[in-house]
Amino acid sequence: MVGKYADDPVWASVTPIPLDDGEGADALPMASIAYPTEYLEATSYLRAVMAANEMSDRALDLTKDVISMNAAHYTVWIYRARILFALDKNIEEEVAWLNQVALKYLKNYQIWHHRQVLMSSRQHFPSLPPKELDFLMEMFAQDSKNYHVWTYRHWLVRHFKLWDHPREIEDVNVLLKADVRNNSAWSHRYTLRFGPRADNEHDAGMVNAGDMSTTPAEKGVLAVVDEDMIDAELEFAQNAIVRAPENRSPWWYARGVLVASGRSLGEWEEFAGKFVVSEDIVKSSHAVEWLADVYASDERKGKAVEMLGLLEKYDPIRKNYWDYRVKMLDVSV
Amino acid sequence: MASQAARPGIPDLFTQPPPIRDPLVTETTDLQDATLERCLPFLKGIHNSQSGPFNACGVPALQRDDHVAFAYDSLEDYPASFVILDASRPWMAYWGLTSLFLMGEDPTRFRERLFNTLRPAQNPTGGFGGGHGQISHLAGSYAAVLSLAIVGGEDAFELIDRQAMWQWLGRLKQADGGFRVCEGGEKDVRGGYCVMAIISLLDLPLELPADSEARKAGLENLTDGLAQYMSRCQTYEGGISGSPGVEAHGAYAYCALACLALLGSPEEIIPRHMDVPMLVSWLSARQYGPEGGFSGRTNKLVDGCYSHWVGGCWPILQSALDGKPQSNGPPATTVGHLFSREGLSRYILGCCQSNNGGLRDKPGKHPDSYHTCYVLAGLSAMQHYHYRTDSSPTSSKMFSSAFSWRSSPIREGNVYEKSDRLEPIHPLFGVPYPSADAMRLWCEARPITP
Repeated sequence: MVGKYADDPVWASVTPIPLDDGEGADALPMASIAYPTEYLEATSYLRAVMAANEMSDRALDLTKDVISMNAAHYTVWIYRARILFALDKNIEEEVAWLNQVALKYLKNYQIWHHRQVLMSSRQHFPSLPPKELDFLMEMFAQDSKNYHVWTYRHWLVRHFKLWDHPREIEDVNVLLKADVRNNSAWSHRYTLRFGPRADNEHDAGMVNAGDMSTTPAEKGVLAVVDEDMIDAELEFAQNAIVRAPENRSPWWYARGVLVASGRSLGEWEEFAGKFVVSEDIVKSSHAVEWLADVYASDERKGKAVEMLGLLEKYDPIRKNYWDYRVKMLDVSV
Repeated sequence: MASQAARPGIPDLFTQPPPIRDPLVTETTDLQDATLERCLPFLKGIHNSQSGPFNACGVPALQRDDHVAFAYDSLEDYPASFVILDASRPWMAYWGLTSLFLMGEDPTRFRERLFNTLRPAQNPTGGFGGGHGQISHLAGSYAAVLSLAIVGGEDAFELIDRQAMWQWLGRLKQADGGFRVCEGGEKDVRGGYCVMAIISLLDLPLELPADSEARKAGLENLTDGLAQYMSRCQTYEGGISGSPGVEAHGAYAYCALACLALLGSPEEIIPRHMDVPMLVSWLSARQYGPEGGFSGRTNKLVDGCYSHWVGGCWPILQSALDGKPQSNGPPATTVGHLFSREGLSRYILGCCQSNNGGLRDKPGKHPDSYHTCYVLAGLSAMQHYHYRTDSSPTSSKMFSSAFSWRSSPIREGNVYEKSDRLEPIHPLFGVPYPSADAMRLWCEARPITP
């Protein structure tokens, strides 16, 4: 065999393990790939050093080479992380390299798990590295709703206890100012304001979730409420709604805020009513749904049915759901 | 073209922009408007790439022959530029085999080829990786087990080292109830779903192996704390995220709901761990008009693959709302379909068919094996009513609900033709119904001793 590795004295001691693609005399493998020669060679050396559990500089270089040809190769990322820590490598340098890779492969998720593995080393990162949030904003400039990046950012908040770090809410505000419909940013905002924080509590989308002493309906209800914060968040949501009333995100965020505070949706009856002027002038289907829920909750069933009827006109694709809601009200119509 | 008249038979709902549109323009509305603009000619049945024939509802026929050819081709050789699929070989097999089954082809002809493909991907320490020399991964193992179920037969089941698989699952279990997708990998709801599908199909012991780290946290079973983990993934929007605290997402919602429906009876376990009214509302909001398709998240675009991920949540939730099964047949009363079957059927047949075969995310996107499988699975789910019964072939009490599902074709309210009918697949396992039963029963007869 000739090639980059076969010809390199550094690799002379390694016997590569060639690919077993399942090619038998009886039948061909399925969905086989005409692998580039360089990839075949590099991965045959990868199998050999992994089988020997080798923690070395040459193996580290090899992982980078394989990643450059296939960043979706999850195995090589996990092996790379192990080598980096085993050899006590410069993790800051690794993060700097990773930034470039992340910007090149925007949809890749292995990169973000790798970053989390690196960042979770308290020895290397006792606190949030100063440029970290800037880099995440650079990623959001490419794709402001990138699920992997938001998942990572959520992890970062919990790991470094950043709920009240000024940059967190600032960045959310910047992103919502650019696009008030960025639901990922709204979701992150909820975590900052209402997510569970205690060390002895598992992470969750809402407090009380997964706690068998409470019911699912109690999810998200805070034990201690900062009314000023609640009012400020409700005002923030209202301002967003006024800019674009048919935007689902702030309406549902506001529901989350009210649930957290133990206050009722009825508080917004007047506000929601502003967007439902008449049967023919409706500015927001979410306002109609809000009113339907308010009416249903305080036994004004006739009015709730009326609202659900309006929704069949203003959000017609969901007709079966609105019909079901009417049925649940248990009234004869 | 968008202003051109639609074919006859198409309601305005599917040809006109939504009734309420905000004047404020942002990136989200730019993308949404562009998508709508692209979809409208397809929804109206007037795009020059659509081959038809169109039926009286203005819906084009399923180009079955082209899609069958695409699916067969998806199981053959790929050029060097597809090297990024190297870690997804079991997935490629699963997507192709499932697509073929859905369209009435016989996937068992790939038995020998599948065995040859999967053998080198299985690790002696348990589980399947993406290919030879790759560490075992729950996604790859799920796809491998499902593919083997689809081709079926003793040699398919024997190929799996179930004892080692069970040991390996024990190493992935986490103290908080969730699972890592591989050793050293991330923890998310996919892991929990894949584990429950694997355990239930292969009849693996529920107890944790003695060497499992999770035992140190007081856990005894692979299933301990898993439902609570899923509960922690519900968000203030009502939907379910990939891991606790992140944004609600349709694909993860399916994984979480299917996982719960494998852990217990939907009518008991789902209301115990999820705020159901919020969940139903969020799921319902995933369908957009006029496109008719499903989006994965609030303020994101429709994508054909959510026909399965979001579409697949509906039979599970509807069954939960229908309550405990009382007979060996369909329930006497049902909440019915809580979304628009017509809308999704129109989106799939109108917008997701690529004119050279294969199915796609949306017009303007290339078809691929993943979308072909899950768009077809979505169409199939629109055509069959899936319900649970009070009888189950398994002797396991734990999994009696999971194996009690049945299906029957829906004959009314369809906008597609009889010739567009696809085969049904199991709502929790994503394989033919008899395949799931056969694998389970074969394994039950050969129990693994912990």
